[in-house]
Amino acid sequence: MQQLFSAFGIDWRLLIAQAVNFGVVLVALWYFLYQPVLRTLEKRRQIIAQGVADATQAREALAGVDEEAAMRVKNADVKAESIVSAALAAAAIEKAKLLKEAENRAIAVNKDAETRAAETAARARRESEQDIARLAILAAEKIMKQKHD
Amino acid sequence: MHSRITVVLKAEQLGSVFGFPITNSLLMAWTVMALLIGFAFFFGRSLALVPGKLQAGVEWAFEGALAYMTEVLESETLARRFFPLIASVFLFIAFVNELEFFPGVGSFGLLHAGNFLPLLRAPTTDLNFTLALAMISFFTIEITGIAALGFFRYAGKYVNLTSPIGFVVGLIEFMSNLGRLISFSFRLFGNIFAGEVLVLVAGYFLPYFLPAPLMAFEMFIGLVQALVFAMLTLFFIKLAIMEPHEAH
Repeated sequence: MQQLFSAFGIDWRLLIAQAVNFGVVLVALWYFLYQPVLRTLEKRRQIIAQGVADATQAREALAGVDEEAAMRVKNADVKAESIVSAALAAAAIEKAKLLKEAENRAIAVNKDAETRAAETAARARRESEQDIARLAILAAEKIMKQKHD
Repeated sequence: MHSRITVVLKAEQLGSVFGFPITNSLLMAWTVMALLIGFAFFFGRSLALVPGKLQAGVEWAFEGALAYMTEVLESETLARRFFPLIASVFLFIAFVNELEFFPGVGSFGLLHAGNFLPLLRAPTTDLNFTLALAMISFFTIEITGIAALGFFRYAGKYVNLTSPIGFVVGLIEFMSNLGRLISFSFRLFGNIFAGEVLVLVAGYFLPYFLPAPLMAFEMFIGLVQALVFAMLTLFFIKLAIMEPHEAH
């Protein structure tokens, strides 16, 4: 056994030194390489998971917003329709009212014109009668004067 | 170039510090450690949420390895717990095996008493390194098994007194368990060392044509061996935490 150890140069001090070398490599790689890389992978995994969750949430929120917008548009349509029909009804009422007023006013104007025309005719007749009477008197006076002369 | 092929089975000693031998494989291990830790330090500081190509590649490898480990161990918690060990085993061995073929490794050295001593030698061609890793894997597997099942239930996998056949099977299990130390260390050592010898021999006989393709092949083998060591550690951990009746 001693010859075998000697042929291969096995020395317990070198054996321990090489084991320590490996231990140093293991600890150094664990501290400088494995831990940072695994931490980076974990951090990236968390960021990706968060991104996926955010995207899902945003997609759901967007779907909700679309639904809300559609509902609002529908409500607005219904409201607009009711406003238009109310406006049309109000306009019809107003139109009828205005027509009635115009008709009344026309009747009143017509009546007023007729009254004034009747008054004017009566006044003209009265004045004509007076003129005729005066002329008759003047004619009578003239005839009497001629007879007298 | 040497006039003859010299194959040295053990790592060459370059000197000593307070009686502690400094071998070329130890020096190479420290070099690889410095490169790995330096890369980890700067890479870890430059991580961004929007990754570049290198970061994306590393993250892809990490996630793939973690997913595979979770599938094998059937537990994400266990996968995350053992990931640093398995990944470090793979990275350390893979870096060592790949850097072995970089210029300067094995070619720069010292002349000592007429002998050439390379400054750097792949630690995987030094049994001290492979045996140390094998022991770390072995103890991790055994401690994990005991922690997961409890001492007596874990020991029950190897000491079965219910029947003579059960006893023999338990004994064989125990021996094969101990044999992992040898198989782990010699598989890695043998493959990488043999590859190095192969490239050396090819360089001796056909110096301008054969070594480059063989080096590429050996670099691939180096990656495969790193993967095999890490995978076997993972599978044996899985076997260790399984209930005795499930493990057979």
